[in-house]
Amino acid sequence: MSIEWYLVLAALLFAIGAGGILVRRNPVVILLCLELMLSAGALAILSFSRMLGDGDGQVFVLIVLVVAACEVVVGLGLVVAMFRRRIPLDVDETTELRG
Amino acid sequence: MLSILLWLPLVFGIVALLVPAARAWVPALAGTALTLVLAAVVAVGFDPGDPGRYAESVSWIPELGISYSLAIDGLSVFLVLLTALAWVPAVAFAASRNAGDGRERLFYFMLLLGETATLGAFLASDLILFVLFFDLMIVPFYFLFGLWGRTRDGATAGGATTKMIIYTLVGSLLMLVAAVAVGFSAEEVSGKPISYSIPELIARGIGESDQYWLFWLFALAFFIKMPLFPFNGWMPDAYRVAPLPALAVFSAVLSKVGAYGFLRVVLPVMPDAAELFQTAILIFAVVSIIYGSAIAFTKIDLRMIIGFSSVAQLGFITLGIFALDETGANGALFQMINHGLVVVPAILIVGLIAERTGSEDLGPMGGLAKNAPIFAVIFLIVTMATLAIPGSPNFIGEFLILNGTFQVSVAIAIVASVGVALAAYYALRMYQRTMQNPLPPGSDSREISLRDALIIVPMVLVLVILAFAPQIVLGETGDAVSAVVEKVGQLG
Amino acid sequence: MTTASWAWLVLLFPLLGSMVIAFGFRRLPDRTAGIIGSTAIGLAFIAGIGTLLGLLSEPSESRHVASSLWEYAGVGDLRVDLGIFVDPLAVFMVLVVTGVSFLIHVYSTAYMESDQGYSRFFSYLNFFVFSMLLLVLAGNFVLLIIGWAFVGFASYALISFWYRRTTATAAGMKAFVINVVGDIGLVLAAILIFRELGVLDYEAVFDAAPKVFSTDQWTVVAICLLLLVGAFAKSAQLPFHTWLADAMEGPTPVSSLIHAATMVTAGVYLVARTWPLFELAPAAANVAAIVGVVTLLVAGTIALVVTDLKRIIAYSTMSQIGYMFLAVGIGAYSAGMFHLMTHAFFKALLFMAAGSIIAVMANDQNIDRMRGLGKALPFTAAMLVIGSLALSGFPFTSGWFSKDEILDFALYRGGWYTILAIAGYVGAFMTALYAFRIVFRILPGRPCPEAEELIETGHVAHGEAVNPANGQPEDYEVGYPGKEHHIAEQSPGMRFGMLPLGVLALIAGFLQVPGVTEVVTKFLEPTFEGSSLAAIHPPVSKAWLGLLNGGVIAVVGIAFAWVFWVRRPAIPGSLRQKFHPLYELFVHKWYFDELIHAVIVRPVLAFGDFCNRVVEPFVVGGIVTGTTSLVRSAGALVRDLQSGMIRAYASLMVVGAIAVVLFLLLRGG
Repeated sequence: MSIEWYLVLAALLFAIGAGGILVRRNPVVILLCLELMLSAGALAILSFSRMLGDGDGQVFVLIVLVVAACEVVVGLGLVVAMFRRRIPLDVDETTELRG
Repeated sequence: MLSILLWLPLVFGIVALLVPAARAWVPALAGTALTLVLAAVVAVGFDPGDPGRYAESVSWIPELGISYSLAIDGLSVFLVLLTALAWVPAVAFAASRNAGDGRERLFYFMLLLGETATLGAFLASDLILFVLFFDLMIVPFYFLFGLWGRTRDGATAGGATTKMIIYTLVGSLLMLVAAVAVGFSAEEVSGKPISYSIPELIARGIGESDQYWLFWLFALAFFIKMPLFPFNGWMPDAYRVAPLPALAVFSAVLSKVGAYGFLRVVLPVMPDAAELFQTAILIFAVVSIIYGSAIAFTKIDLRMIIGFSSVAQLGFITLGIFALDETGANGALFQMINHGLVVVPAILIVGLIAERTGSEDLGPMGGLAKNAPIFAVIFLIVTMATLAIPGSPNFIGEFLILNGTFQVSVAIAIVASVGVALAAYYALRMYQRTMQNPLPPGSDSREISLRDALIIVPMVLVLVILAFAPQIVLGETGDAVSAVVEKVGQLG
Repeated sequence: MTTASWAWLVLLFPLLGSMVIAFGFRRLPDRTAGIIGSTAIGLAFIAGIGTLLGLLSEPSESRHVASSLWEYAGVGDLRVDLGIFVDPLAVFMVLVVTGVSFLIHVYSTAYMESDQGYSRFFSYLNFFVFSMLLLVLAGNFVLLIIGWAFVGFASYALISFWYRRTTATAAGMKAFVINVVGDIGLVLAAILIFRELGVLDYEAVFDAAPKVFSTDQWTVVAICLLLLVGAFAKSAQLPFHTWLADAMEGPTPVSSLIHAATMVTAGVYLVARTWPLFELAPAAANVAAIVGVVTLLVAGTIALVVTDLKRIIAYSTMSQIGYMFLAVGIGAYSAGMFHLMTHAFFKALLFMAAGSIIAVMANDQNIDRMRGLGKALPFTAAMLVIGSLALSGFPFTSGWFSKDEILDFALYRGGWYTILAIAGYVGAFMTALYAFRIVFRILPGRPCPEAEELIETGHVAHGEAVNPANGQPEDYEVGYPGKEHHIAEQSPGMRFGMLPLGVLALIAGFLQVPGVTEVVTKFLEPTFEGSSLAAIHPPVSKAWLGLLNGGVIAVVGIAFAWVFWVRRPAIPGSLRQKFHPLYELFVHKWYFDELIHAVIVRPVLAFGDFCNRVVEPFVVGGIVTGTTSLVRSAGALVRDLQSGMIRAYASLMVVGAIAVVLFLLLRGG
């Protein structure tokens, strides 16, 4: 199977993730979409790695997965903290950093 | 050696951050005192015939031609000494009046950071390094004025300070652009790889048409910093709110960096432009003299009188520099030192007066000399030096400046001398309305304390020594200043 | 010891005295300051005599010494040494200054005895003498300016010595500022000299001037006019004279020393010192002579009508200095210097006598209140009469020889100088009139209460002192004569100060009897060697004729005074009625104060006000506000991007990423 299909899948996944981040307002869903984008990137790296027959890419993907896990931990922790403080779970409502 | 001198205050400033707040002044005072000793050692070891003696240079960003290089020469040696000297009484004055607000650590850190930045500007012999320190200087003073400054009604002074920093930074950023452009222009002219070393830039020279617009960018930055009319708009607000120790060094030293920049960078690197725009700058300078004096003539707020008299004095200094004459430029450099020596005690004395009368306005004051003859005499000496009475070092400065100006334009010299007469009035009025006349009720005429005398008198003593032998300074600076002016003179 | 060392000692003693008193003022017991101060001046006088002897031991053509301690300031071609120049003229001035100063110091030890500011007074007074000697001995123009300004400062400090009085501080300010204007004149003159000649040392300048300048070339005229600005400001000549009358706010010994005998004559000394320049600029020299004559007439008319005792004498000083300017302006240098000396004697004496009277009158200086003091104060009265005789130029007194020598010289020059001489004789008549107006109004007659008390009890007791000018109470603690005023008769110090001056005022004229002694002229000859004007000396017969004229005028003037104020006291009142506008003009001092206020002070204040109200907020503030608001609005533009909406940031990122990719694609493609 040629590499194009993998890359198309990765692009599709990335686009779905990016679209989700742009349209959804719930932070949990945004986090999910973020994961999707990371996975898309990982898939692309993996594909090139396989194509070039180089193992380095696989190592990078493992690191990406770890980072993604960490990011989810922090992200979900923030969501729980927001929930506890009765802050609405809507990213459009939380604009404290407005300049 | 110079690196130690440069970073020593900052090191002690960091130490001040680490000790208990009530003791923060100890490392600060020790740091400034040590810096003074070191500066004195450098000044004594300085030899006008061998200016490269202390120079040091390390390549910093070689791709961009930027190096960390420091040097001391006849232009900077006494300004470095003045900086080191001015900071000691300022820190001592602050220490003797500890606010007890728990933020002393930060205060002394900022004050000493300011000293390092100012020394850096005087010591740098790389144009980018000079610009960096020039910009860094203003940062600690932003915090000092903003956090510790108080307006008359006791509010904090955020607004006025923000105005000051934006305004001066606009000037400095324009200068940064100009500095970068100078590097490129010199690269183009010489065909050698880019370098920002000032001696190298002077040797290469820059294109004549480039000089004409770069000159004004530099001039604008320096005019704002000094400040000269009509760029003095930030000055009244900043002077009004600033805490006195910070104001003392700010007024004494930071304003001189602008004038120093003309001698260090503008004249040698852009001689064609300096010659072409000479008359324009002279007119700026003479207008500043008259304008500053006329306003000081009408003000009754002591800080404003000192502030506007500084505008006039810096007008004189600029006049001397742009006379493009040996005597004028030497007088200007000498006057920078004299003005620094006069302003520090003058501003600290304003603090002492305010402690005795509860006011900084001349209106309700008077008669303080009654029980305080020593205090009165100290103030009288400072007043006489401020108005440049013949016999004071300031007179020699003004005499040389006027002499230099006279060679260029008799009319400008005569108009400038009107400023001298006005100075006599507003300076003497300041003394008379505080020390003489009847003592109003509520004022406390008490003698200057030994501690305060120890803080203020040393600078006054330096003035008195220079009064007897101004040649101490002139002899060391003469060659360097003459070299700068001759550089311009060779064109004509 | 060499002549130069003696001259340096002359400078050293007063400076040392001033410093010792200043640093020791808390520790000096009781009244030591006066002793130290007087001793210092006494020693300076002795050193002055040493200098004189040193100079006289030289042959006359080499009677000048220059000496310097160290290089004061040197930049490029400009070289200034801390150096002095000693020649007969300088020594002459040194002796007059130190001699008169010594007597006034002694007088002051008594006069100021009850004053809280005793030490301060002597420290200032010693500093003044130092400055004056520096002015006289300076070897170059820069040092001259320094001495010049230091005497101005000392004068300021002593005028506002009783600084509790607002009138005194205002007077001090006025004197200082006008003197600074004079300083600027000198500074510009020095700069112009340096530009034209490239040197600032006296000897070098006087050597070079005739080679560089042609007669009445505009540069040399400009130099001399600028020097004259300095000289007029210091010597209270028109139009810089208004400070002198106000300076009478100072203690009377100050008026006597600074504002009569020494400092105010510095302008005359300056012109005599720089005679080689003035001879190259006859136009400027004529200006000096004419201004001198105008001043002597204007001041004389004012002295005739004002009623403040010290101010009458002050206007008289102005008028006498006018004669001296006439003298040096027409080239009668030695006559001018001689008059400077005799004037120092009799005018210092008059002020001392006035001080003695004022002390009795509780610091009231109005002659309307004084009557019958002759009987109460016989010694002072005698001194006052001697001083007035010398001032009027009564035959065989010192003033007769000196003033009339000047007028002789002017007559002998002929041409339009005759007009100056005639005006000088008119002035001489007025001088006799106002001098004896004082004598006849305050000495004879029925004693006023104070005089009566003094005659009956031998002392005077005063109530709380108030400033007569504005009614404010005086503050004894900051220095003011205590309630125990000193009566000259009873105080040996004051007598010792006055008596030698009284004798000198009578007999000093015999130093310069035409055709007989002429000591001053002969002594000063080496200084004025080569002057074409000094050589035009009237012959002895003409000189005696002139003296006769002067004597007659003085006697007639005194006789008129006797008629006006003793014989028919109604005449002055009716004259005042008849010439009312003229009287108003004189009594308002020809409205000079008002004129200066309107022409200089008001415009400067208005300009400052304009800067404050219009330029500062709109122009200067406008630039700041403009710049900062530009920066701020640029910030506001970008600020809206910082919405805080995560999705907005995300969309921007996406758009940005797409743009970058498109850019790469298009460029690559």
